[in-house]
Amino acid sequence: MNWHTFFDFSTMASRHLVAVYTGVWLIQGSYLAWVAWNWRNTKGSPR
Amino acid sequence: MSRSSTVRNVAWLWFIATVAVLIVGFRQAIFLVPTEETMGNLQRIFYYHLPHAILGLIFPYVNVAASLAFLYWRRRDPLKALTADALAAASAEVTVLFVSIGLFSGMLWAKPAWGIWWAWDARLTTFLLLWLLYVSYLLVRRFSPAGQTGTLSAVLSVFAAIDVPIVYMSIQWWRTQHPAPVFGPNGGGVDARLLPAVFWNLAGWAMWGIFVMLFRFALERRRQLAEQEAALQAIEASLETPQ
Amino acid sequence: MKYLSHIFNHLRKDLRLEWRSRDAINGMLFFALLVVVVFALAFDPTGFPTTTRQISGGILWVALLFASVTALNQSWTRELRNQVLEAHRMAPAPASALFLGKAIANLLFVLVVEAVLTPIFIIFFNLQVLGNAWLFALILPLGTWAIVVNGTFFAALGLRARNRELLLPLILLPVSLPALLMMVQASTGVLTGELDSIQIRTWITQLAGYDIIYTTVCILLFETVLNAE
Repeated sequence: MNWHTFFDFSTMASRHLVAVYTGVWLIQGSYLAWVAWNWRNTKGSPR
Repeated sequence: MSRSSTVRNVAWLWFIATVAVLIVGFRQAIFLVPTEETMGNLQRIFYYHLPHAILGLIFPYVNVAASLAFLYWRRRDPLKALTADALAAASAEVTVLFVSIGLFSGMLWAKPAWGIWWAWDARLTTFLLLWLLYVSYLLVRRFSPAGQTGTLSAVLSVFAAIDVPIVYMSIQWWRTQHPAPVFGPNGGGVDARLLPAVFWNLAGWAMWGIFVMLFRFALERRRQLAEQEAALQAIEASLETPQ
Repeated sequence: MKYLSHIFNHLRKDLRLEWRSRDAINGMLFFALLVVVVFALAFDPTGFPTTTRQISGGILWVALLFASVTALNQSWTRELRNQVLEAHRMAPAPASALFLGKAIANLLFVLVVEAVLTPIFIIFFNLQVLGNAWLFALILPLGTWAIVVNGTFFAALGLRARNRELLLPLILLPVSLPALLMMVQASTGVLTGELDSIQIRTWITQLAGYDIIYTTVCILLFETVLNAE
């Protein structure tokens, strides 16, 4: 497979493949970003 | 202070290693590993679906262990109990995260491969149930009155741990009476040429899951300590006020 | 023996309180009736007797499940008034006696609703039971206890929570799912006569096993939930 065939959206199968890969990265990335954002906004303890 | 900066360095190293492994995994899954005969390129979804499904079944154990530890330490050592509670919260969120992705990727795989989005067999129904239980766990944590959160959610975690095997067995038995379509990879094992993709992605997402869970755990601890600080300051302020 | 008398006293208290207002039972009855009527409109029982028999088991238990949920939350709110709950916590009697008394009371209320509902159900759906109808004398109490024991426990768990009404069905459904499967399968098996007696008996045995497991777990954990602060 190459980048060209990966982004070929003509069949349901290839659409779903791209959807899964991008979806997973989006979901995992947003959760990490949410945790990181809250980490920055919570006061660090002086201990 | 050097202890926390060591931790921070290790965390960054782990994160960078995780991303590297995931990139290797992506490259393996999409470009290097050969196309499977029966399902074609659609089968590549499997390399992301499998790690999330497996890890979605492992993180709940962390949650149950932490909940039991919380219940044990609740009256004996409240500070340890607090740490256990933080771990329980973190692992529950990561469970919902991984199980959601498992369901999402599974459904998107199933539709083109087998023609249906869903089937009510033992494995899928139990997986959905796990999702429902842990979503309700997170809601209990959010809606419970302050001070009761740890105990109530720990009790729910125990119920979840008992319920999941019972659901699996009962639906399994039902399906021996009323067989229904079962899809997804069976115990047949994976073709050896496809193993590198499976291995790299499993390792990568496991590392990611551990990283995210510990990060969330650290965040929860930070919040707890900030709360304790605030409570201490409030008490000290009230002591200084002339009576 | 003292433990049993504790349970009996709690039971009497709940029965008496309910008898005075009859809120829960009336609410449950009308709710269940409503569900029956709506499903009758959806599936046209007269035209399709076979289909009706196959889905009636599910409809019956859906109606009872939703009706029970409306009453379960209410059963604990009466303990919030006049700081009764604190009194229960301080009393030396075991907390599980309170739980069992209340659960048995809820069981009796739902059984009363079932007793009224079943003839109505049979009439509106023109039901003809093809299997051994006496098995319902086993299935109905066992199934009801499965819903009520967990429902009473989780209603207590969410008692002080902000969104109590949402929380109860959300937690109750996943935990009750295996029991629902068992009671619906057993009921449908009896109604349609399609399952042989061994299979129905297995479903009933599994339901009884579920009841035993969860009753034990609820009794053991109730003290923790009552003293959650």
